[in-house]
Amino acid sequence: MTMTTPLYEVKNVSKHYGSVIALDDVSLSIAPGEVIGLVGDNGAGKSTLVKVLSGAHEPTHGQIFLEGKERKWGSPHEALEAGVETLYQDSGLAPHLSVSANVFLGREEYVKGVFGKFGFLAQKKMDIDAHANLERVGIAVPQSNRSISQLSGGQRQAVAIGRAVSWASKVIILDEPTNHLGARQAGEVLAIIKRAKAQGLGVIFISHTLPHVLDVTDRIVVLRLGKVVADAPTSEFDAEKLLGTITGLIDSK
Amino acid sequence: MNSVSKRFKSALGNQQVLLLIVLAVMILGFSLKSPDFFARPVFANILSDWYPLILIAIGETFVIISGGIDLSVGATVGVSGVVSAIAMEHLTNSHYGPDLTLFIGFLVAIGVGLVVGILNTLMITKAGVVPFIATLVTLGAGEGLSVVFTGGSPIGGGPSNAINLSVANIFNLFSRPGILIIVLVIVLGLYLHKTRFGRYTFAIGSNPFAARAAGINVNRHLAKVYILSAVLASLAGYYFYLRLSVGAPTTGNGAELQAIAAVVIGGVALSGGQGNFLGTVLGAAIISVVASGLLFINVPANWKQVVVAALIFIAVFLQELRTRVRK
Repeated sequence: MTMTTPLYEVKNVSKHYGSVIALDDVSLSIAPGEVIGLVGDNGAGKSTLVKVLSGAHEPTHGQIFLEGKERKWGSPHEALEAGVETLYQDSGLAPHLSVSANVFLGREEYVKGVFGKFGFLAQKKMDIDAHANLERVGIAVPQSNRSISQLSGGQRQAVAIGRAVSWASKVIILDEPTNHLGARQAGEVLAIIKRAKAQGLGVIFISHTLPHVLDVTDRIVVLRLGKVVADAPTSEFDAEKLLGTITGLIDSK
Repeated sequence: MNSVSKRFKSALGNQQVLLLIVLAVMILGFSLKSPDFFARPVFANILSDWYPLILIAIGETFVIISGGIDLSVGATVGVSGVVSAIAMEHLTNSHYGPDLTLFIGFLVAIGVGLVVGILNTLMITKAGVVPFIATLVTLGAGEGLSVVFTGGSPIGGGPSNAINLSVANIFNLFSRPGILIIVLVIVLGLYLHKTRFGRYTFAIGSNPFAARAAGINVNRHLAKVYILSAVLASLAGYYFYLRLSVGAPTTGNGAELQAIAAVVIGGVALSGGQGNFLGTVLGAAIISVVASGLLFINVPANWKQVVVAALIFIAVFLQELRTRVRK
């Protein structure tokens, strides 16, 4: 572990739901330009940790630091504004809205003048900018005024990820972004992650697909029953060892 | 050739164009069958039916696009009308001027709408009651209270000049309140399709999880939508007072179903996230034309409901067909 201040960090975080302990004394940190894989079996606490990291849930104990400053997220919106972007599994997009409406959802731009004060949207500008934003992170979407429901599953996921990556200024949390995707589309998603890393973002990649995790991450954190049971450079894992650590057949601690 | 037929097909695939054709065919049909139908006073009368219907149908459009439903609009029309009428009767008896009385009556009606909207909102966002049930509660309570407040009979005795306001004295076609309602409808149409408020309404109806993840305060937005719907219904209640010079407890009974019919005929999906305000405008117009037209061709007025029912079925069936073709 280097001595520089981590980009994003949680220290000794626990989360209790009544008597259920979903997270137990979890610590985790990520550096700029680093991709960490967060893996674990169902019920290991991945979703809970994602919710704590994204600001959706407040931890019962423990601290959160962004660039060395302690933060308490009151809502996911606060985390978003601080530069921590999350792509949730399956909840990313509004299918009846256009690509650009989705890219700019919650961050709309208004026309100039008095109409803008009344909330009138600068639709043309957002159409153009949405296209440019997606292109910048390596996504070619046919037309940004097409509705999401007209896109294929792979294109939708590309838009969802592109949206998150293009807005993230510091950290991006991707919850199962390659789920339900074909091999080629999953490959495109992994390429987007690599580009985000090259831009200096910290990427937290949650996935069940271990080859994807081994391919794209620098470091892997394994959760089991709410605890971190392994946190090591990806080079120290192969598929068999990773699976063994997740299931508990190999005890690395 | 190919592009012409393509354009023709896409025009037919467009709900608003279809509705416009249906509306034109209806007007033509009624006029051919009964030449008296095609006259200015008839259209003025159709418009005066359309004004209150479009008010509640526009509110319903916002609500349904947001993924909910508002069953309480008809009851709100009734209860706001009678409460406003009672207030104006008292003011007239205590010798307030007619203009001030009418204005206070207007504010009272809107106040009643606000109360209903806030009650709906509290039940839906705080108590977690689904919109169908929450607004069913205010529907029942509103209709009941209208009868309780009035003893079941219409309340008159307000300013005598009220009825003059609803006379169609602009080109012998539009009444003054009617013009205001048309302006309001255009503004709300722009709000639905061109502003952030409308965008969030669509987003919440399309995928509330995505809306929340994008930082939208979903409950606060839904509160505005349900309050808008109730206030528009209370405006319709006040409009009926102007038109009839009385506040009757049964005014607005069943209006929620007419509003939902207008919205559905207009192509708004009950599942939320989709719709167009122009469709609602035309849907409400078709219902109003059917209501008057049937009288002119000597069909008993009760057939109107049957015709509207058939139109709902056809509209939904076409929608279904189109989504099937697309897939």
